[in-house]
Amino acid sequence: MNNLEWIELFSLPFMQRAVLGGILLGTLGGILGSFVVLRQLSMYGNTLGHASFLAVVIGAFLQLPSILSLTLFLVIFGLGVLYLIDTTNLGSDTILAIIVAGSVALGMIGFSFLEGYRGNLLSILFGDILAISNIDIILLVGLLVVTVLCLLFTLPEQILLTFSPDLAQLKGIPVQIYRYSFIILLSLTLALSIRAVGILLVNAFLIIPPATARLVCDQFIPFLGLAATIGAVSGIVGMILSGIWDLPSGPSIVLVQLVVFLVGVGWNQSSH
Amino acid sequence: MISQEIFGSPSVLEVENLTVRRGKYVAVDQVSFQLFSGTNTAIVGPNGAGKSTLIRAILGLIPSESGQVNILGKSLNKLGKRWEKIGYIPQKFSFDRYFPLTVEELVALALPKSYFWKSRERKISVQKVLVKVNLEHQSHQRIGTLSGGELKRVLLAYCLAVPRDLIILDEALAEVDATGEVEFAELLNKLQREQGFATLQISHDLDLVSRYCDRVLCLNRKILCQGSPRETLSNENIQEVYGSTLIRYLHSH
Repeated sequence: MNNLEWIELFSLPFMQRAVLGGILLGTLGGILGSFVVLRQLSMYGNTLGHASFLAVVIGAFLQLPSILSLTLFLVIFGLGVLYLIDTTNLGSDTILAIIVAGSVALGMIGFSFLEGYRGNLLSILFGDILAISNIDIILLVGLLVVTVLCLLFTLPEQILLTFSPDLAQLKGIPVQIYRYSFIILLSLTLALSIRAVGILLVNAFLIIPPATARLVCDQFIPFLGLAATIGAVSGIVGMILSGIWDLPSGPSIVLVQLVVFLVGVGWNQSSH
Repeated sequence: MISQEIFGSPSVLEVENLTVRRGKYVAVDQVSFQLFSGTNTAIVGPNGAGKSTLIRAILGLIPSESGQVNILGKSLNKLGKRWEKIGYIPQKFSFDRYFPLTVEELVALALPKSYFWKSRERKISVQKVLVKVNLEHQSHQRIGTLSGGELKRVLLAYCLAVPRDLIILDEALAEVDATGEVEFAELLNKLQREQGFATLQISHDLDLVSRYCDRVLCLNRKILCQGSPRETLSNENIQEVYGSTLIRYLHSH
């Protein structure tokens, strides 16, 4: 690919939106994922990812646009899962595994009853970052702004809550309100990410960048900053690589995250 | 109930008829006691006696079935800002060893929120309190790299970062070796005398209890006896509390 073709490719509006989308998704995933990883919610993204299949199927029955059904039902599912974790003694991994199985089973049964354009529904498994619309970009920017503002105002409380819910409660922090708000934010982020990166890979955006940052950081704020940066940079680099070699975009971004992770593992091994 | 006049100091904690259930099992049964400002009280009893459950219910970390808890004269749900006056060192502190948090960052989390973004003030306040627990040189260490004893001292520093009226220690010395145990007890005692907070601690070391505590509550779901260490830690009482198989470690005083 020569320079001219490059400029041509990245001057296409859909390509620019896709690169911007990759950066925004990577940054949001890195920030929220930092708390997901440390709060032992690593399977949460995976669970809500699978539940989004059910959400889209329900949406198709109700003839809702997929962004609306994803947003609405993922928030409901997310809160429901947290409620189940809190009210049963089964442990979160068990509950999450049950929800994955339940939502896929229900989704598949619903899917078999749907008539008409079923092929579109399957595209949600892999997603398509090139299909990101202007509205998606506006929503992602909005979500990133809300997330950053929330953190600026509550970061010390969020860190304490992540480290020890007991100490947080004794400091008078409204633990339950914060936990449930976090799940709403996470569900919204997943709802916006799923169509771009797909059910199968969405969890990578939440897990790989923070996991990498944790390998190299001892302090919290550098950890958070590095996770967001790795997310954003993987977004750009992945999109460029996918443009040059004509590779699928979402998987390219995840592949870059994976390479950075392996570098982090090497760093960790050599310095400890 | 012991009247206030005996100690001549205000009560920091009043527990009345507190009952806690774990499923069908009554883990804490009708427990009542009172704690006075500046005093050291130990809760002793065998494993499964409901000691940790009692403490967690007092702090509102688990629900109680009936009874009343007043801290600093207020019921738990009306404590508001007064929560800041209560320090707590949990028994088992399980966390991810790679949690990206340094000693300094953890202690700073106890400070008022306004300190968080002011790195100079934050550093000075934290350093001051780390000196008190002899950890001033470890401030940049990740907490996952600390030994059991060091971690307990960091948690003590977390408690001491703001003025407290009461510090509750749930078996602070579990997972600490014998030397660390004595060091921690001496340090706590020294700081307690300097700053005048009251302590309520669960302990298995009856020798340390009789050395540093003013009062002992013997608990086995119910309070079996309470009073000074001399009164309560008699052989007959201990046998009643712990059962006949007790092996009591007698250290030389």
